[in-house]
Amino acid sequence: MADVTQQIGQGTFKPKAKTLPEAVFAWLLIGPAMLFIAIIVAWPLAETIRLSFMEAGLGGEEYVGLANYQDLVESRKFHQTIVRTFYWMFLSVGLKLVLGLIGATLLNAAVPGRALFRVLVMPPWIIPMAIGMIGWLWLYNGYFGVLSGSMMSLGITDGPFEFLAYKRSAFYSAVVADVWVGTPMVTLFFLAAMQGVSRDLYEAAWVDGAGRWYRFRRITIPQIMPVIVSMSLLSAIFTFNSFEVIWILTEGGPRSATTTLIIDTYKTAISNFKFGEGSARAVIIVILLGVFALLYLNVLKFVNRKYGTK
Amino acid sequence: MATLDLNSISKSFGTAKVLHDISLAINDKEFVVFVGPSGCGKSTLLRIIAGLEEATSGQIIIGGEDVSAAHPVERGISMVFQSYALYPHLSVYENIAFPLRVQKLEKADMDARVHRAAEVLQLTDKLQLKPGQLSGGQRQRVAIGRSIVRNPKVFLFDEPLSNLDAALRGDMRVELSQLHKSLDATMVYVTHDQIEAMTMADRIVVLNGGRVEQFGTPMELYHHPKTKFVASFIGQPNMNLIPATVLATDASGIKVELIGGHQMALPVEAATVNKGDKVEVGIRPEHVALGDNGLEISVNVLERLGGVSITYGTIAGATRFCASLPGDAAIKEGEPMMLSVAPQDCHVFDASGDVLRRKSAPALVA
Repeated sequence: MADVTQQIGQGTFKPKAKTLPEAVFAWLLIGPAMLFIAIIVAWPLAETIRLSFMEAGLGGEEYVGLANYQDLVESRKFHQTIVRTFYWMFLSVGLKLVLGLIGATLLNAAVPGRALFRVLVMPPWIIPMAIGMIGWLWLYNGYFGVLSGSMMSLGITDGPFEFLAYKRSAFYSAVVADVWVGTPMVTLFFLAAMQGVSRDLYEAAWVDGAGRWYRFRRITIPQIMPVIVSMSLLSAIFTFNSFEVIWILTEGGPRSATTTLIIDTYKTAISNFKFGEGSARAVIIVILLGVFALLYLNVLKFVNRKYGTK
Repeated sequence: MATLDLNSISKSFGTAKVLHDISLAINDKEFVVFVGPSGCGKSTLLRIIAGLEEATSGQIIIGGEDVSAAHPVERGISMVFQSYALYPHLSVYENIAFPLRVQKLEKADMDARVHRAAEVLQLTDKLQLKPGQLSGGQRQRVAIGRSIVRNPKVFLFDEPLSNLDAALRGDMRVELSQLHKSLDATMVYVTHDQIEAMTMADRIVVLNGGRVEQFGTPMELYHHPKTKFVASFIGQPNMNLIPATVLATDASGIKVELIGGHQMALPVEAATVNKGDKVEVGIRPEHVALGDNGLEISVNVLERLGGVSITYGTIAGATRFCASLPGDAAIKEGEPMMLSVAPQDCHVFDASGDVLRRKSAPALVA
């Protein structure tokens, strides 16, 4: 090391007699990033955990130990919220994956004008979510919404139908809107993965007599499986924490029918100023997603073993 | 196994015509190699035979049956791709069994066929591995295994050795030739490597610009190239082409003056040339010997390979000339040498590149 420095230094520059110890230099390099992460991630997280042991509101804080958690464990309403959140997540992610797979397959097909179709997939993803959701509010409106109007003129309903006014229809309407927002990203990732599959594989299978469905099942799906699994996790986390869609459409209503954990947390902490109880909910979200991510890593390991190249 | 006949195959991509009216009759159990430079249409022709591309016009007949419109699997062909096209997520066993699974073959029958193919290709102990764990040569064998298990009428190979290193390519050439003998199969093989073509083929199709330049046995192409293109493509090192002028023609042949002033009487059919015409005289590097008179070559580069010495030089300071001489030939770089060449070993090409047929050429060996 020293020799090289001296050789390079000959005639061009003089190496400093004194250099920083390596450890100090390393800390200097990663220090700013660590400080940044500490301010925007670590401190809020620590503060949330601290608050979850407090009875905290606008008036002040008081240590209550595990009381906030105990309330949640005993609350039937909270149990329902957890079940609803997972149902919301699995339903929405499932639909996004299936639609994304179908969409990507169609966009990958050699059809004229496919570049245009690829662009047309993007808008739900590109336009600001609030604007998109206001669009869905109009669609779902009973009096001047397209959906209700069409149903009336087709004779399916007698009068205006407010999609967001009933527990069940509101939930599924929110799922549809969430799927609308989330599908383009899934589609484009799947499309990119499909384009990475060698054409020769399909031609070899075609020469061997494999039909379209067989090739899709035995070549496309296994080849893009790692991407399917990664997208499942990403999409699951986004959907689990999907806030804007539900908040703009229903604010968690009617009668909590669309209240997922993130909505419940927001309502408790921000709307009702119960910072302690809200923090306990937030901590539970972190734990649930942590467990979910651990499960995912194991699934990914399995998938790589089964579909990997080694 | 089966014969393969191509009748007037043409192919255009948009306005670009890549194959011009190609007709070939390939015999049962024959090993035919399509050879030519990149872009000559050899791979396209193979893909048309496979059914991966559609011919713009013409017929493909396999075993007497017109399969021009048939699905690839109904043609009774199997294909080995340049990239091997192995399924990376499937084991060697599953890769070889793939065509059989598509056919929904019974498990026992499939098992037997896969193991037989694995035995022939020495892959038995690799069946549980994935392609990523194999060497290039082994992957190549898996791809061949996948084509064997279907018992096709015709095997198609698309530059299967071009991804291997030189030493392995040599080994695989021998293996493929042996495989051809043991399977007694009709094989069509595409390559840009004339050594592969010469060593493996029963007959070679030389393609150039989407046209068949010549179709014949390796030695026929070597001794009787019909065109300048074939002459310079076949043979290693390449044939030397020396500009010359026709001085006289008669029944015994033509008299020419080569660039540099050397005059020769060459025993070729003289019907198509006249006195004063420009021609090119083709001399293979291995058909010259050091002598006292003949062609004067100034040696620029000398490569002593042991058994032979390859020299690169020029005639009259411009035309390049390569000679293959004995390993210990007394020559030096930078010095001139005189080469003698037997008139009957010379080829003559007219201005359009067509050969003037030689009157005395060695009898062809099988």
